[in-house]
Order: sequence, then C-alpha cells, then structure tokens
Amino acid sequence: MTDGDYDYLIKLLALGDSGVGKTTFLYRYTDNKFNPKFITTVGIDFREKRVVYTASNANGTTTGKTFKVHLQLWDTAGQERFRSLTTAFFRDAMGFLLMFDLTSQQSFLNVRNWMSQLQANAYCENPDIVLVGNKADLADQREVQEKQAKELADKYGIPYFETSAATGVEVDKAVITLLDLVMKRMEQCVDKPPADTASGNGATKLGDAQPNEKKCAC
Amino acid sequence: MPQGTDMINVGFLSDSERELILEVLRRDEALRQAEEQRVRKLKTELLDVKRKGAKRSSGNYSQHSCGRCLEPLSRLSLFSTQCKVCNHHVCRKCQTVLPNGSWLCSVCVKELDLKKRTGDWFFDQRVNRFSTTPGHDLVKVSLKKKLPLKKRETTGEVLLRSTEINPDAPTPVPRPRQKNQTSDKRESSENSGSVASRESFESKQEVGSKPRSDTDSVGNASISSSRTENDTDQVIPDQPRRKNVSGRSSPAGSSASSLTNPVKGETVSVDGHNSETNTVSDVKEVSPSPELEVDRLFKKSIKRAIKPSGHVSTLDLRDGCDKSEASMGNRSYSVPGLDVKEDEEEDEDIDSLVSFHKRKMASSSSSLHSSKSGLGSMMSIYSEAGDFDSVDVSGEVIYSASYDEHTQSLQVFIKECRGLAYGDASRQLTNPYVKCYLLPDKSRQSKRKTSIKRNTINPVYNETLKYSITRSHLFTRSMLISVWHHGRLSRNAFLGEVEIALDCQDLDSPTEECAVLMSKSATAVPASSFSQYKGELVISLKYVTPQKPTPEKIKGKKAVTEEGGELHVLIKEAKNLMAMKTGGTSDSFVKGYLFPMTAKTTKRKTPVVKKNLNPQYNHTFVYKDLVLEQLKEMCLELTVWDREAMLSNEFLGGVRLSSGKGTVKKGKEEVEMDSAGEEVSLWEKMMQYPDSWAEGTLPLRSTMGKGK
Repeated sequence: MTDGDYDYLIKLLALGDSGVGKTTFLYRYTDNKFNPKFITTVGIDFREKRVVYTASNANGTTTGKTFKVHLQLWDTAGQERFRSLTTAFFRDAMGFLLMFDLTSQQSFLNVRNWMSQLQANAYCENPDIVLVGNKADLADQREVQEKQAKELADKYGIPYFETSAATGVEVDKAVITLLDLVMKRMEQCVDKPPADTASGNGATKLGDAQPNEKKCAC
Repeated sequence: MPQGTDMINVGFLSDSERELILEVLRRDEALRQAEEQRVRKLKTELLDVKRKGAKRSSGNYSQHSCGRCLEPLSRLSLFSTQCKVCNHHVCRKCQTVLPNGSWLCSVCVKELDLKKRTGDWFFDQRVNRFSTTPGHDLVKVSLKKKLPLKKRETTGEVLLRSTEINPDAPTPVPRPRQKNQTSDKRESSENSGSVASRESFESKQEVGSKPRSDTDSVGNASISSSRTENDTDQVIPDQPRRKNVSGRSSPAGSSASSLTNPVKGETVSVDGHNSETNTVSDVKEVSPSPELEVDRLFKKSIKRAIKPSGHVSTLDLRDGCDKSEASMGNRSYSVPGLDVKEDEEEDEDIDSLVSFHKRKMASSSSSLHSSKSGLGSMMSIYSEAGDFDSVDVSGEVIYSASYDEHTQSLQVFIKECRGLAYGDASRQLTNPYVKCYLLPDKSRQSKRKTSIKRNTINPVYNETLKYSITRSHLFTRSMLISVWHHGRLSRNAFLGEVEIALDCQDLDSPTEECAVLMSKSATAVPASSFSQYKGELVISLKYVTPQKPTPEKIKGKKAVTEEGGELHVLIKEAKNLMAMKTGGTSDSFVKGYLFPMTAKTTKRKTPVVKKNLNPQYNHTFVYKDLVLEQLKEMCLELTVWDREAMLSNEFLGGVRLSSGKGTVKKGKEEVEMDSAGEEVSLWEKMMQYPDSWAEGTLPLRSTMGKGK
C-alpha cells in the first residue's frame, strides 16, 4: 500500500511488441532483479517505485530542490488480442517507454505503429516518449543497428537508449530521462499560461492601468 | 446496433484473465485513493493560504497595503510589486521568486505549484483533447453526452467499475476527436506486421472512421452511465463497493442492458435507496430508443446521488484521512433534535453561513486543534468583506440563558439592548432586532430572531429564543448574539455581536447578563471562526467563433449563422456545497449573468439538482452574438443557490469571471471586476483559445461583494 507521502505521482507506461521485454525491464527498474522466464502479460499491470527527483534548470544546473516522486509504471500486454484494452490506458499516462527488441527487426519496424497509436490515444498529440531498444546484452543476435534506431528516434525528436533488463544497463537512465521530460513538461504547462497572459495583457494593461495608479501614488 | 466506438470490450477475456486484470485494477484503485486524499489535502491547504489575505472588492483597502498579508506597502515600491497573475500589489515578504528570475505572489505560486502536484496540469491537457466535441446544440447535448467525463477519471477506474458490474459490458473510453481516425487509417495501410495485427488495426480503423453521429447514441448511453457511476463513486467514498457485485446498485447495469448485454444484477434505485435492489437475472432488455434510455438514465443519475450525498462534506476535504466520519454530513448528528424553523426573512447573513467542517471541528477535538489556528485570521477578513453595511458598533445586550431539562432545550432570553448605533446614520434611524446562532452551526436551522423594534436605540424585547438540544451537546456550543438594523428598503446593517461560550455559563440558575457588543473582527476568536470554504464550481468555457467551419462528424443541423460568435458556459458540477436543508443537503441550481447587459436578457439558470451537495448540472448557458473582443470588457457571474420553495433562495456561493481589470456596468451600478486567480486565468484561456473548452475548478466566493 502506498501512503500519500510524496510530492508527485507520475504515471509512465511501457509499450511495444510482445516479448520485447517490457515486463522484465520494469522489474529490473523497480526491483533491480531479472527474471529470464517469459510470462506474457495479461492485459495490463503496473509496478511502483518511489524516487527522489532533483529539479534542474533549463541549462542543466540543479536547483538543489528535491522532490519525492511516486512512479506508477504501467506495463501493457504487447499481444494483439489485448490491444483495445491496452491502448485505452494510454490516455492516463504522462510519459511513455516505447520499447523494441534489438534482436528483432520486426519489433523495431512496429515502433512506427506504436508511435501512431500513441499519438492517437495519449493525453496529447506529442506526449513525452523515450525509445528503448532492449536486450542489448544479446550482442550476437542483434538485428537492429544503433544507427538505425538513433535515426528513427531523431526523426521523432525523442531520446533513445539501448538497455538490457538482464544486466540492468541503461535501464535506470532511460526511465529517469523520461521522468525528467515529464517533469519539464509539467513545469512548462503550468508556468507558461500565466506568463503568456502576463506578457500578453501586460502591455495593454499597463497602458490603461498605469495612469490611475500614478494618480494614487502621487 | 453499432457498437464499439470508444469502448473497451472485455468480453473476450477468459475468466482467469479477467480476474488477473481486476486484481491489477484494484491495486490501481488503492493507489488512486491514496492520491485522491493527497490531492484533497493539498487543495485544502491552498484554500487556507488563499483565504488568509486576499483583498475583496467590498473591503476598503488602501492601495498601499499588501494584497496578501495586508501590511502597508512603502510608496516607492508600488510600481514594482504587482503580481503578474492576480494583479494584487504585494509586499516583499509575500513574493516568491521563480527560477527564471521573475516573481509572483505567494498565493499564485502556491496555486501553480498545486497544479503540478495534483497532476491537474496533466488532466487539464487531457480534457482539452478528449472532451472537445463540437459545440452545437450543447444545451441538449450536454444532457446526454459525456462531454467531459470527470476530469481526473482514469481508464482503470472506468474499467474496474464496469467490469465488476458486468464483465461483458463494453467500457467507454473517450477517444480523441478527429485526426486519430486518419492516423489509424494510414497506420493500418503501412502496417507491415502480422496478419493478425493488421486485422486489428483495420477493424479499429473501420470502427473509428464511422461517422460519429451514427454511434453517438450508443456511446452516449454507456458514457452517461459511466458518469452516473461516477457520481456514485464520488459521493460514497467509503462504501464497500467492491464486495457485492450483483447487489450493487448500478445504473451502468441498466445501461448495459440497452446494449443487449446480459446483466447480472440490475438495480433500480430511482430514489437513491441503495437497499432497494431489484435483481433481474440475465435479462436482455432492448431499449426502443437509446436516447430515451439515456434521458431516463440521466434523470435517474441525478436522483441517485441523493442518499450518499450526506456522506460527503467539507470536512472530508479538510481531513481526508478520517473516512469513518462519514455521517458527519448528516445534520442531526451534531444538532440532535434541533427543530427546523425555516426563516422567511432575507438573508443578510449570507456571509456568515458556515461550512460543515466547523461542526466537525467542534465535535472532534483532535481536528479542532489542527486547523483552528489557520482559520482565525480568515474570519476577520471575511466578515470584513461581508455582505452588509457596517456601522460603528456601540451599546450592549442584556440577556440570560438557561437550560430547561424538562423540554431539553436551551432558552435564550433576550431582554433588551441599550445604546445601539444608528443603522441608518443619515436618518438617525435604527430598527433593531436580535439574532442568535448556536455555534458552530451557522445554518438557518440554528438561527433565531426576535421581532423588529421600530426606531429605537434602546429596544426592549423580552423574547425567548429556544433551541432543542441535549445538555451534553451544549458544551461544544456557543451562542452568537448579534444585533441588526432592519433596513426596509436598504440592506440590513450590522450593529454588533457578542459570542458567549456555553461551557462556562451557569445554565441552571440563570442570571441576567449584560454583554458589550463588539464589531465582527473583534469577536473573531478562534472558537468562533468559520472557514468560508463554500465548495467549488466546475465549469468549462468556450468561445465559438462565428465563421467556424462545421466540424465534420456532427450532424450539420445548426450551422452558426449569427454574425457574432457564441459564449458557451458549461456548468458541470459543484462540489462540497453548503447544506441548507434538513438532512444535510441542498437543492441547488446555478444562475448566470453576463454583464454588462441588461440583467434580464443574460439571466440563465440550470435546473435544480435536489438533495445533493455535489450536484452535477451539466447544463450549458449559451450567450449569442458576441465578438471575442467584447469579452475582455465583460464579466460573467455564476452564483449557486439553494432553492427554497415559497421563500427566497439561499445563496451558496458564486464566482466572477472576467479579465479582472476595470469596471463593468450592472444595471445602474458600476462594479469592479474583481476576479482573481483561476477566475481570471480561465476567462483568459477561453479568449485565448477560441473553439476549445477551457475547464476549471473555481472556489466559490462566500459573497459576491457589494454589487450583489
């Protein structure tokens, strides 16, 4: 059970073809363990993890402010038959781990499908996404080259990571990067509107408001 | 019957799969509930901060005082100290510097921070995507259509509910409007995956690309049912609702039946008694007209919420962790046997009505201490900004209080007053009467009045005001005796008050006491301080531009032909309203005026939602022939009222939406548009993004200020 002792509840969701390792990836991330057995996810599942997030400025310097973030990591079934169910959960997530299997060209090709599923079903048309090529430890079976994947990620303008749930490499980094994107987006969403209105009306308002105030002040 | 758009059909799952998913959803629910509590707490905190110092239009504040802490400002600093969001001038101490170097006042910062912490930033974004249905015929549509579902609702929530009720029922999930269909389509043709996956993409596309109007009715049916469900969830936070699947009352069950799905247990609970269950096993009921069905459902949904509504009250907000206190909403718990006396006089005390949690504070000492201190300072501000004409207080009241064991009643004998101030100073006139509340209950039920004496500053009453109450309850109470000038044509004027705690009174051998009248702020000791949390109003605003191309998928019935555009105001719901009626409920409706216009033409009302403190109105006010530019100079007032048949309605709270600058003509009066915070930002958002809904949750003002 969770207590409410955290500052933010951030909901992320992992998606991708069946068998790319979404579940093991999340298991590695939350419990730092690896389960090599393939147990297909039934519909949906989620894991939780509490992390401390250090806020940073746009220029990358930390502000020193730390927040307790409760992560709810949704795990979705890659299997086709659950598709209508899983896509319905897209709308509740704030950020996405779009995963494919580095040892499966097909899973990589399907990234584009997943991408448009996301665009159609997420909370907005350009949600925060991180592209994850999993099973990096199986170098000998590799079918997808880093360059290929990188290009695709660049095309979408999203970060790309090659991870291994088996060894744990880059797993944390991928999630934290996504969290960072979401937190930044949050800041933007919240800080922008008032700033806009302030600057937008500020000019006109200053014009008609100032004279009055001057009168009062003098 | 077309089916499937916007639905999740979980019928394809096997039993064991369904069980697994349900388990996940239940875990999610636990998390969600913890989150909801956290959010409630945060919102309450914000209200506290907000209430502490905001200037009100009705108060006479110096330009040179801080809008937050009311400390005087130095003259030099005046120009640089206006908060960009709320436009209050604030002192250095009440400014918070943002990372980008600019600053905002402490309240605005807190508000922004809260948007982040509660996840509202996310839900706000999502609302704009999933609920923006074309704005035609909204008045009608909003009755049947989901329009925005509850903002914070998640798929898991919807699914969990629907699955437990009827595993075979498709579950509605709002899909984003337009676009996606095309992207789906493109996708499916590009899809190089397996045949299976291609099929699914295509079937999706086919469903998705169907004209929405065709499937509207079905979508509506299940959607409105999900909202209904939602009501239930909102109002019964603590019912063990996961236990008994078939016994659970569920409008969704009945809606599912119209979708020709087997229903496990259909519960008819038109009047909100959950116990009245009517189990119909495996009934297949085909509704002749889905729309009728929807209407019926909708009405039902309104009524359904009756009973549980008592469970939710402000105290729930204040103190979210204490769920067991569910019955606090029920008046009789705190005022046993208090006889209900409806009062026909108009309401000079709108401002002083108090929310439920006060009662809670009185009865549970632990929470009393926790929130007391913060409330003290609020009171003075609020009473100062009250809806009455205030005079310099003078004089005293002579009274005695005794407890009659025989009738189990407190008797307050008001003998006389001496040396009162003139309520109407210009005419040296006072028509005084004495009013008494048995605090902490400041509702109508606790109000007692004497007769009005004409033209005297030394009125003699010799009247007894009676309260039926058990003796043990008295110790948590105090009497608030106030004196008022009855202005026959003008407003009533406050002449002074005094609060007497009952625990230190000798009620057995009554003695005549003389109490000096005090002004409001002076008596605002913590024990008598009432938070002025009046609840919240959830609305959506949209400006529909004139030459708006008729959106594709709606029946092109009513093209906008007017020269100007339209302002659509969707009154969705109110939350945590004050209870005005016996049983701790209110029959509320929302009234809207758009100024400056002659009041009559812009008056709009929602239907009355009975016996509900969290009423769902889902009613749209449409104002036509408006140019976007005009709106900057306009002011929308929405007020919530408790409907009183035969009597004047009671004011429950209101909001004032405008750009927050300048004045506006209301009839003959020129009134300041004193909107602040969310009221301004929502109004501006509406103007900034025409043709899309701007949704917001606005705290209700406890008074609309002088221009009422």
